[in-house]
Amino acid sequence: MKYSLLLTLLVSFLLVGCKPSQKVSRIDPGTTTDLSGKWNDTDARLVAEEMIDDAMSKPWLNQFNRNNQKPPVVIVGRVRNESMEHIDTEVFTKELERSFVNSGEISVVASSQERQEIRDERLDQQTNASYETTKKMAQELGADFMMIGNINSIVDETIDNKTLAVFYTINLEFVNVETNQKVWIGNKKIKKLIERRNYRGTP
Amino acid sequence: MKLSSFIILYIFGILSIGCHSYVLDDAQFDLRDSFTAGDYQYSEELLKKFKKKDIYRSKDAVLYNLESGIIYHFSGKYDSSSVFFTAAENEIDENYTKSISRGIGSFLTNDNKLVYDGEPYEDLYLNTFKALNYMHLKDWEAALVETRRMTYKMEQLDIKIKGLAEAFSKSDSTNKAEWKTGDINIQNSALSHYLATVLYAKAGDFDDARIEQEKLNIALREQASISSYNKNRDEDFKHLRDANSYNVLLTGFTGQAPYKVQEDVRLFFDDYDDKKDNEFYLKFSFPVLETHRSNVDYVRAVVNDSLRIPLYLIEEMDKISAEVYKAKQPIIYSRALVRASTKAVGTKLISEIVGKKNEGLGDFLKFLGFISQEATEKADLRAWQTMPGKAWMEVVKLPVGTHTVRLEYMSDRGRTLFFDEFEIKITPNTELELIESIYSN
Repeated sequence: MKYSLLLTLLVSFLLVGCKPSQKVSRIDPGTTTDLSGKWNDTDARLVAEEMIDDAMSKPWLNQFNRNNQKPPVVIVGRVRNESMEHIDTEVFTKELERSFVNSGEISVVASSQERQEIRDERLDQQTNASYETTKKMAQELGADFMMIGNINSIVDETIDNKTLAVFYTINLEFVNVETNQKVWIGNKKIKKLIERRNYRGTP
Repeated sequence: MKLSSFIILYIFGILSIGCHSYVLDDAQFDLRDSFTAGDYQYSEELLKKFKKKDIYRSKDAVLYNLESGIIYHFSGKYDSSSVFFTAAENEIDENYTKSISRGIGSFLTNDNKLVYDGEPYEDLYLNTFKALNYMHLKDWEAALVETRRMTYKMEQLDIKIKGLAEAFSKSDSTNKAEWKTGDINIQNSALSHYLATVLYAKAGDFDDARIEQEKLNIALREQASISSYNKNRDEDFKHLRDANSYNVLLTGFTGQAPYKVQEDVRLFFDDYDDKKDNEFYLKFSFPVLETHRSNVDYVRAVVNDSLRIPLYLIEEMDKISAEVYKAKQPIIYSRALVRASTKAVGTKLISEIVGKKNEGLGDFLKFLGFISQEATEKADLRAWQTMPGKAWMEVVKLPVGTHTVRLEYMSDRGRTLFFDEFEIKITPNTELELIESIYSN
């Protein structure tokens, strides 16, 4: 009996000791993975999908096309993070830019951070590039609209910290650069309920 | 068979406990020594060495990340510091779910088996230091995220603590006890409120700035009862709400975090009757908190060798941690006593049962029981060693140009114990420059 007990202990230790410390699986980027309850790639994807559909289907686009006979030019401005989490708003604003450009219905110009590098390159070309290949100054495409917005969150938690409800609201707007008129406001709401267990078996 | 298996398991159990907690205590004190001496480079190396040697284990992850966060913060590596503080915050969050196996383990051995899940004020201060990190990096949006997290945590603690007091009050049918939250409300951190007021004001969130400034005053009034400093400045800090009235935030940290020492109580009962085996040995250990007495009486800033600006003592973090520990003391002591008693009674019963069949073996087990109590009964001395003791702050408006700002740490006799000098450039676009220094004495 004692030998079987010792053998059992030894086998248990070997099994635990030989178990790999982690396992990696490749999954589809569109798969929903809610691991911590915090803002994640699924949230960014949902926001981008809804905002793109909304922006492309609302009347402002047709009205602009009718009045100007050309697609509108949009520049991405500041999307303020007013939530309690560090959220990279560029994840979904880039997705919007990609969809706008690839649709051919909305033109996008480089943002204020992006164009500084381009301007430096253009300036450099005036001095260093050949005459035939030098790009002209003061030829930038002016934006018709600026996209701005904000993310806000409201958190509610029970006194015992066992249950947490997080509500995100994401607002994006197109503002006419010339007249300050808002021509489109998109909104996406996401709500999550996180329930914590009191105990777990593993250390 | 059963007996020998038991003995093997028992010896194996004692050996498996090991001396890890003693090694961790030594490591923590080494870290504290190097940090308080101002040798942050060596502190970083120590941390890496300890991590490599697995001195900080998974149950000590919160502690490791807090220590790393502070060391990297004062080393000027603000990005790395934020990564560690974020890891600590996530670990504290995950540690809400308690491990059953660890709970059983701690009951058989000691509290060092439990996961260190951080004190409420540690969970708050890590956001404060993260906010300071982002301010150094001029990432105001991220600093505001940390500010919101600070205010949220304080609100939650407020609800919890006041809610508990109210719940006790309602259930007390005798109506003889006065159930209140206590003299010190750790959920009201003056340091966090001060920083939040400044950041909200600078962001143009005037309502939030006003609310935070009012809470700051409440926190300072509450903390005055435990303060050993004579605060003769009658301030209401309304000037913090006017974002245009300042463009420099002066911050100084002094003192050290309190540390824990082990106190052992050994009880030996014997009726000296050789015919009866009535000896009973009990040992229990508990941590006692010791605070460090700072030599710094006040902190001042000297601008361009002419303008002298005293900093205000915003928070005595060491006193707060001592107060929190005082509140938890009865639980820690009673848990230690119950655990030690259970172990003592258990080993005595086993040795008696065995002794009836084999006296020699019974005596041997009694001896093993004595060894196991000595070896396993150890106080949990883990604590955030590199947390500063006190926080001093003030805001000032400096004109456009380059300025020399010297933060001086003064003794009660007006002697300069230590100073840190900074050169800052103020432009018309300067929103807020942060000047920060520490003197761990």
